[in-house]
Amino acid sequence: MTQLVLGQVLNGAIVGAMYGIIALGITLTFGITGIVNFALGEFMMVGAYATYALAERGGVPYPAAVVPACLIAAAAGYLSNKAFFRFTRNNLVNGLLVSIGLISLFESASMLVWTATPLEMHHVLPGSLRVGDLGLPKMKLVVFGVIVAVILATYLGLARTWLGRAAFAYAQNPEAAMLMGVHTPRLETAVMLYSTGLAGLGGALYASLYSLEPAMGGVYVLKGMEAAILGGIGSLMGSLWGGVILGIIEGVGSIFLPTAFRDAYGLTVLVAILLFRPAGLFGEE
Amino acid sequence: MFLEARDLTKRFSGLVAVSHVSFSIDQGEIVGIIGPNGSGKTTLLNLMAGLLPPTAGLVVWKGRAIQRLRPDVIAAQGVVKTFQNPQVFAELSVFQNVQVASHLALKRRLGSWRGLEVLGAARPAERRLRERVSEVLTLCDLTPATNQLAGSLSYGEEKMLGIAMALMCEPELLLLDEPASGLGREEVRNLERVLDKVHAAGTTLCLVDHKIGFLRGLADRVIALNHGEKIAEGGPEQVLNEPAVIEAYLGRGHA
Amino acid sequence: MGQALLWGALYALPLFVRSDFLLTIFTFTFIYGILAVTFDVIFGFTGQLSMFHPAVFGVSAYTTHLLVTLAGLPFWAATLPSAAAAVMLSVVVGSICFKFRLKTFYFAVVTLAFAEMIRLIVLNWNSVTNGTLGLVVAGKPTIYWPGHGVVPIKGPVAWYYVTLVCLSITVLLCARALRSWMGRAFAAIRLNEDLARTLGINVFRYKLLSFAVGNALASFAGGLYGYYTGYIDPGYLSINQSMEVLAMVLLGGQGTLTGPIVGSLVLTGLPHAIDLRAEVRSILYGGILIFTILVMPRGIVGTLGAWRARRVP
Repeated sequence: MTQLVLGQVLNGAIVGAMYGIIALGITLTFGITGIVNFALGEFMMVGAYATYALAERGGVPYPAAVVPACLIAAAAGYLSNKAFFRFTRNNLVNGLLVSIGLISLFESASMLVWTATPLEMHHVLPGSLRVGDLGLPKMKLVVFGVIVAVILATYLGLARTWLGRAAFAYAQNPEAAMLMGVHTPRLETAVMLYSTGLAGLGGALYASLYSLEPAMGGVYVLKGMEAAILGGIGSLMGSLWGGVILGIIEGVGSIFLPTAFRDAYGLTVLVAILLFRPAGLFGEE
Repeated sequence: MFLEARDLTKRFSGLVAVSHVSFSIDQGEIVGIIGPNGSGKTTLLNLMAGLLPPTAGLVVWKGRAIQRLRPDVIAAQGVVKTFQNPQVFAELSVFQNVQVASHLALKRRLGSWRGLEVLGAARPAERRLRERVSEVLTLCDLTPATNQLAGSLSYGEEKMLGIAMALMCEPELLLLDEPASGLGREEVRNLERVLDKVHAAGTTLCLVDHKIGFLRGLADRVIALNHGEKIAEGGPEQVLNEPAVIEAYLGRGHA
Repeated sequence: MGQALLWGALYALPLFVRSDFLLTIFTFTFIYGILAVTFDVIFGFTGQLSMFHPAVFGVSAYTTHLLVTLAGLPFWAATLPSAAAAVMLSVVVGSICFKFRLKTFYFAVVTLAFAEMIRLIVLNWNSVTNGTLGLVVAGKPTIYWPGHGVVPIKGPVAWYYVTLVCLSITVLLCARALRSWMGRAFAAIRLNEDLARTLGINVFRYKLLSFAVGNALASFAGGLYGYYTGYIDPGYLSINQSMEVLAMVLLGGQGTLTGPIVGSLVLTGLPHAIDLRAEVRSILYGGILIFTILVMPRGIVGTLGAWRARRVP
């Protein structure tokens, strides 16, 4: 039994890390620019399919395909911001509507190009590591490691540097930040580029483990949103913790309760958190 | 005794805004509350209207302790407060603002049969209430602005609208938070006129204000606060000449 | 007046339009219109962004059908217990949300979470709902038609009028409610909750009322849709339905009663009016939404209203 639980905990943590990187994107965007990017999952999808295209169809080795894929996703993010998102600052409903529109656009475009048939990449890193009685696929460990490293780097990068302070000043009071010399449109663009790039990275890593479908973005943005709220919107490390905790709840919940309701376990915890501690586990009131 | 404040205290994590204040208001009186900035006047009114829970003490209204009741329940009981910074529904017209405030009035007239009004079967009551709204607007000199959006009113007009809305709730005790602040001399005279009429019609008033001249002419009794404590109580002339009060406003050396 | 013209045109339409295809589009417009209008009562008028509509839509579709097939109730009678079920769900979910005074974004998230949980239950309760396979609806609702007795509703024209009448009744009820003290309380809550409280409005109670009434009326759309399409599946409860309804209201104009109907017409009709592949239609759909937000934030009806107001001297 403990083996089973441990296995699910570890697996859940890895899946949760993927939720976490999307959550980070959501938290960064909303926390700094006040824009709700509910379409973030679509940029993950773009990154995933771009990786597939480069690695499977283009013959580029996987590690070399990841960075271009992120850049492509970030480019898509840049365009979306320039054209649409920047007009929805601090307007939840508009942001939602733009996101709905973009989701439709991206999913359909993806359907046209790739069709709905699930696509799989060849094994990037086969084999597993044996930990006691458990077998952990090596690629999953790599994915987990990369995501944790990236989130940590983001946190350190923002918490300790001038850029980070500028970003949070902007979040509090855009006019004041501008008067103090922070180039605000550039900051907003940077946040958008980075968060969509992160999502693209998530997609690229996702592609190495699972099969791709045009609709994959929808599920992940919801989980990412859940993880971001759980961890506390505005808390960077919170998005990682929120994601991991969510993944573990879903995994462990599926052992003791019906697997069919997997998604509901995380949702129940989410509702409880929102009712009793809306700031999330690590957020500020 | 209409309203009684018993040993009211309000602490905000370290800061004591109101400290052991006790006083009473009788039916038909006009009571003024004065004090320098930060003396706890607005907090005291908020405690009386149920917008803040007290740290200690009671607010007794017609024999019933109301300090922990919801603001809407307290308003239904007859105690209504206006705001220092006028609060109005900016996107609605002046008429609609006062109409919204007729919620309690309709409830009192139709009771459980309010459903009829929804179905359009209470036309007479509806019409009478609309007439009442017009009356209140006329009383407050807002008739010319009836169809104007509340958000486009001048500061003085907004304050008057706030009072009109409070009046529409048919209060027995009207609490006014700095009604004259920010108003020009002409507007203050209008305000005095309106409050006189309201008082003559039977409403008890309790006002907080800075403008000593304004209060002096209006109030039967004045309570003075400083640093959250009551330092004087009595007729306006008496209180305004008390050394402690003068000292509070002007500092030591003037008493 | 514009309103009378609009409704007159809608009632007269089948006299001039023979195309079954067009009549079908309008029928779908009317059914979705019920969803959109009732959603607007909660969102546009009371200011609560509810993501709970799909739950009510789906549950009432299943409930109505099950009552007809298992309890032998006639269709119209079966819609009433379904509405009651919608009210019960609304009271439970609404009480939790409003008691905790959730702000806009979190209210949306919690209602979405509850809707998802209900969807999962419906999806997995195979014995009752048949899970992903869904239920086939064989029967047709019947109405009393003078001179012909009790007849089943068949054919595009019959369905057109039945759904139009249902939509008309819904709009009438909502209009009445919104013009009364109830509607004023809703508006007060939307504009300034704290001020509303000091004027004697029990904010919790009225938020709950708006939520329950909106959801109860929306439940009729569920029953109609199931019987019209002849097929009910858990997709009724998916988040996409929330998005569709929100899009219709924003496109048409929130805070109005005709806006959601216009929005429903555009979003239901336009994709079908353009003869392209499904994916391209979806791209168009997305484009229309984004365009609306950027160019007409007040929606079609809202922008027209503002434009007309400016032209009056």
